[in-house]
Amino acid sequence: MLVLKLALRTLLRRKSRMILIGLLVAFGTFLIIFGTTFTSSAAEVSRQSIIENFTGDFIIYSARSKEKPSPFAFQTPLPNIQNVPQIEKVLAETPEVSAYAPYAQNFAVLQVMRNGSKVELPFIFYAIDPASYRGVFKNEKMTAGNFFGLDPATATGGSEPRRGIVISDFQKSQYERNNGVTLSVGEPVTILGVTEGGVSAATSKLIGTFEPRYYKNVFNYINFVDFTTYSNLYSFTGVASLPQGIDESLSNAGQSDSGIFGLASNNAFNNLDLKNLKEQTLSGYTMIAVRLKDHSQAERIMQLVAAHKELNIKVAGWREASTYFAQIASGLQTFIYFATGLIFLIVAFIFMNTLIINITERTDEIGTMRAMGAEKSFVRRMFVAETLLLNTAASVVAMIVAFIAIAAIGDRGIPLPDTISQFLIGGGNLPMRLSLAPFVEALVITLIVSVIATLYPVRVATAITPLEAMNER
Amino acid sequence: MSAVELIDVKKYYKLGDTRVDALRGVSLEIETGEFLAIAGPSGSGKSTMLNMFGCIDTPSEGTVTVDGTRTDHLNDRELTRYRRTRIGFIFQSFNLIPVLNVYENIEFPLLLQRSLSRSEREQRVMHFIEEVGLADRIRNKANELSGGQRQRVAIARALVTQPLIVLADEPTANLDSETGLRIIDLMREINDREKTTFIFSTHDSRIVSHARRVVQIRDGLILDGTEKDQV
Repeated sequence: MLVLKLALRTLLRRKSRMILIGLLVAFGTFLIIFGTTFTSSAAEVSRQSIIENFTGDFIIYSARSKEKPSPFAFQTPLPNIQNVPQIEKVLAETPEVSAYAPYAQNFAVLQVMRNGSKVELPFIFYAIDPASYRGVFKNEKMTAGNFFGLDPATATGGSEPRRGIVISDFQKSQYERNNGVTLSVGEPVTILGVTEGGVSAATSKLIGTFEPRYYKNVFNYINFVDFTTYSNLYSFTGVASLPQGIDESLSNAGQSDSGIFGLASNNAFNNLDLKNLKEQTLSGYTMIAVRLKDHSQAERIMQLVAAHKELNIKVAGWREASTYFAQIASGLQTFIYFATGLIFLIVAFIFMNTLIINITERTDEIGTMRAMGAEKSFVRRMFVAETLLLNTAASVVAMIVAFIAIAAIGDRGIPLPDTISQFLIGGGNLPMRLSLAPFVEALVITLIVSVIATLYPVRVATAITPLEAMNER
Repeated sequence: MSAVELIDVKKYYKLGDTRVDALRGVSLEIETGEFLAIAGPSGSGKSTMLNMFGCIDTPSEGTVTVDGTRTDHLNDRELTRYRRTRIGFIFQSFNLIPVLNVYENIEFPLLLQRSLSRSEREQRVMHFIEEVGLADRIRNKANELSGGQRQRVAIARALVTQPLIVLADEPTANLDSETGLRIIDLMREINDREKTTFIFSTHDSRIVSHARRVVQIRDGLILDGTEKDQV
């Protein structure tokens, strides 16, 4: 009680200096709260943005793949996933799954006619089933045409043709700048794809242009092709089933010349009813992005899906699949933590020095107390109490200010430089999300650091002898 | 029984390569209830001797006995406890705790002792406040008091634990001569009433004349033939 009384009155007596020190500590505490809220908000928004825009909660890919799945690995496309219908069946039967989108990433050449000549344009794309892709990702804001005829509000239905290509505005402007070609919605194009057998071509048309809402730094370069066109280009379309005799003849035809002649003489082949053949799209998908109703279940559902060995698949979490994006976000967060920590250390250092000056000025008082029989522990407790009182008060002020500031910023967010924003959260302002943890952390850190910063000054104080009070003039 | 006894006490300090001899073999016995002045010019060793009595310094050589216990080999914690219960201090610059008022300053040593109840403390504090004539100032802080009043608070604070010895290092040095004399008279009156041993240092001859016994010191030695009793 005596110690607290002395501490409190000493603080009040040295008001102006203590207010300055308190403001400094409050600033440090505010930085911790704000910095931690900033980084935790950035981490949360970054995770959400990555999941919502290019990975889903997890990605399924072929077990044959030696690489981790990356939605941006256009140079080294992943192996095709086999058993897509069976995988879709498993996903459909898993109640925690809200949506999934099979897709493939690849590159090709667009060929258009200008002034009677063919002009070839580089073309990086996702091959998608538009409806299922739209059910998972909604990053494309259409600027002309439509997204494969889908209703923009519901991402379903629509009466427009669903086949064609959709390119980004940026890509369109690149074609204009680099190739002198201005593409218009509705314009026919030929897609040239490189296959093992040479170059294959598929005719298509431009049905829409878009601007990415998030991650413009990558999605500006990514265009879309409907999967049917893609299958045609790479011959992923086949016949679902043939009469048994034809199957055998086709197999023999691949073995020898006599087999080919055997196929020609096969009656079943000659009498084949083409109208009754069913077209089957063979899997050219390299990834399936899966969204869950509750992200916290991701780990469990990933294990559940991966347990289906017969599907011959692997699964990767959003963080693995996001490649360097999650790493950059983590790096930026670490940097912010480091910078905040550094500033707080400087505050602690200034605080420590001020305490030492304070103690030097109070040599007389401390020495007198010691002469009267105050033990070193009494002096120590007195200074620790002063520190704790001052810093608790400063922390509470900082917490109130931080609460108001964070609540005021809220969903409007903090504007960030575009480059940082693109990598950190996919673009736009960073919303600040209030949570208890940064406040508790800041209070604990402030008090621990301030007590540590008091250790040396307290050592100086307890080293003061009564002799110094006696000799003080 | 003697309150304090110094036997052949020497105290030297190192100042760089130079040895400074503050006390050069001092022997002195002070009886309980004495009112003694240690007189001498600045730098003569008065304060060093007082520090030995007050257990806030230890000798380089020789023995110091306070209240029958040798204190020259006690550690810091033991010396602190010894001071808390047996010694009262009056400082030249008063050294009141600035954030406490008159009452609280006087109560402070009792709070350190933690041996009395609140009511006992209050009774004791009020007794000494009245002894020094500051009953109308108990809620005043140090900066609201005159020099003489501050020294009265310091005297009450030194006496409140009912110590064996009260040590006063140049207690009138920061006071005008009239106030200084009144403070010495007050100390002497209390010495008469409470039978507390008072030892004070001074270089002021008018103050010295108020002591019952005077020890003259110069260059770290008690001057032969100067130790005398006065009425």
